[in-house]
Amino acid sequence: MNSVSESESPAQGSSPRAPEQVHFSGNGAEYFGIWIVNLLLSIVTLGIYSAWAKVRRLQYFYRHTELAGSSFDFHGSPGKILIGRVIALAMLIAYNFSVRLHSPLTIVILVVIALVMPWLLRNSFRFRLYNTSWRGTRFHFRGAVGASYRVFLLNGFLTLITFYVMAPFMHQRLKAYQHGNSWLGRTQCSFHAGAGQFYLIYLLLLAAAVAFAFVIGASGIGGALATFAQVHKEGGHANPAAVFRALAILYGALILLGISIGPAFHALITNLVWNSTRVGEHRIECNMSPFALIWITASNFVLVLLTLGLFIPWAMVRLAKFQLESVRLLPAGDLQEFVAAEPESIGAVGEEAASAFDFDISL
Amino acid sequence: MLQANYFDGRSTRVRVVNLSVAGEDLIIAGEDVNFRIPFVDVTVDERLGRAPRRLRLKDGTFCEVRDLEALDTLLSLTAHRDGWVDRMQRHVQFVLFSIFACALLAIAAYQWGLPWAAAKGAQVLPPAMGRTLSMRTLKVLDGSILLPSKIGEERRRTLSARFHALRLPEGGTPRSELLFRSSPQLGANAFTLPDGTIVALDDLLAVIGDDRQILAVLAHELGHAHGRHSLQLLLRSSAVGAFWALYVGDISSLLAAAPAAIVEASYSQDLERQADDYGAALLRHNGMSPALLADALEKLAAAHAEASKGGGYLSSHPATDARMRRLRHQAASFGDE
Repeated sequence: MNSVSESESPAQGSSPRAPEQVHFSGNGAEYFGIWIVNLLLSIVTLGIYSAWAKVRRLQYFYRHTELAGSSFDFHGSPGKILIGRVIALAMLIAYNFSVRLHSPLTIVILVVIALVMPWLLRNSFRFRLYNTSWRGTRFHFRGAVGASYRVFLLNGFLTLITFYVMAPFMHQRLKAYQHGNSWLGRTQCSFHAGAGQFYLIYLLLLAAAVAFAFVIGASGIGGALATFAQVHKEGGHANPAAVFRALAILYGALILLGISIGPAFHALITNLVWNSTRVGEHRIECNMSPFALIWITASNFVLVLLTLGLFIPWAMVRLAKFQLESVRLLPAGDLQEFVAAEPESIGAVGEEAASAFDFDISL
Repeated sequence: MLQANYFDGRSTRVRVVNLSVAGEDLIIAGEDVNFRIPFVDVTVDERLGRAPRRLRLKDGTFCEVRDLEALDTLLSLTAHRDGWVDRMQRHVQFVLFSIFACALLAIAAYQWGLPWAAAKGAQVLPPAMGRTLSMRTLKVLDGSILLPSKIGEERRRTLSARFHALRLPEGGTPRSELLFRSSPQLGANAFTLPDGTIVALDDLLAVIGDDRQILAVLAHELGHAHGRHSLQLLLRSSAVGAFWALYVGDISSLLAAAPAAIVEASYSQDLERQADDYGAALLRHNGMSPALLADALEKLAAAHAEASKGGGYLSSHPATDARMRRLRHQAASFGDE
């Protein structure tokens, strides 16, 4: 068995080399065993095991991801993740309580959450990257705390008051902050996409959404009108079946949106982000087809539904394989030269809080 | 002999090495690497599918092994044993057992665990929260589907007086507020807010007519107030929503919101029965027959049939026939009718 890929052997100055394709060798049937045991143990331990389950899941995906003959690894400690989850759960409960209560306390809690969130998100980046390694060298995130407040809080506020006209700008700043401050050992990454490129993709998204709304409106309007007519005729007594139908149309439209425009947008943004990221002098190429991603997302969705969730492990593996294998590294020189930095100690509170509040930081 | 990649943890440099076992020791040999270390100081990564496994040394260096079969042969020469989770994950029977166990646990949690936890939770929540929720709900309803009651002042006062004179089975008189409203949308209906406030609608009074039967319906609503049922429903639907978000969230967070709403409606049957039982006990405690509630339900069923498939009291109070039979049975064993 050849342990070192051929493009890897002795360095020759810094001449460009053959692209290194990312490979993912995970397998749905194999992952099923890990997934179902994770699920069972998490239920039996009332959720405590879920921290260990998360580590196993991430290790399964990281270790099956291979670049230039070596796989990635995840080093997060289950204990830290568990503490992070407990704190995140407390925050989530406080948040849900306050939102339902609508008391003056709500504003206080919302302000507190808004104030700690940038710090938590920054820590979430730090935790995830620090616990990722390739060839024994860890990644690092070194974004400043002050900058995180500018990126999340100030830009978030600007986005809100401009009715999301600034959203693509905010997205670009976020990615520049996230990728520009990432390091592999002592090698810094850089981000090169301008806000204009984000605006272009967002305009496409807007056009697709308008077209989608038009089609759904045209097909759903009959049902909606029928419901209204019925409500009218029966003196305000809405027919439950009609209301259910109207709801079904609404949810149907949302799901359709989630498996069509959603993945297409995801593919375009992911391509832009990775094509604009460099690790030192090494470039990255990401070539994800929006149509292929739509097909995978839609078919995964249907199969998960038909199997009452049992297809989930296959769906996850399939999606990961497609996304990871659309990435290539274009080495500018030797890939043996990355040097590790000093070890750090980072808690998992940020990552768990970010995922509890459902911030998608993967885009 | 087993080939592996050795990494020093300080750079991404790959060194090809050969691994072998001699006695209690692991030997790592290759280009500018030559170690002999006791195997007890080596941590072996657990198996995760066909992923490469690492043999980690205490100084942060490690060997990445791809030939998993050869590694198993090597490990068999040492004291290394696979972890129990690792063995479970690869054991076909255990994986199959896990599927059924998960399904059974999910059903049990939904059937018994969730109602139990919601009932406990509803008792623990501070009364101030119920109060705030109710005020908010009432404000929203008053601004949309509820109109001021058109029932005469005197009738309302009489009903209120009789309602507040009821003696509760657990002692005392109702602390719930009784409000009168009318609503063309909700029809003949009465409902209880999270803090126990009961709202009776004009159509309900008109359809039932008889004060004692109206009191029976209010006794039923007091059962909802006593069990804090609306808070329980809130907790149940929140929990179901949270679970779906976690379970399905990986694939599509869009599906997550749907089931909570659907579940909530089908869930209320056991709570209705509890409220009926409480209402029946309350009626008996006040020297009245539980059959009064059954009579009221019958009138509502007739009115409901007339108003065709409209909403009204019974759409939120399912299986009326069964409930009437139950109440009449209780009345018969009570010795009246």
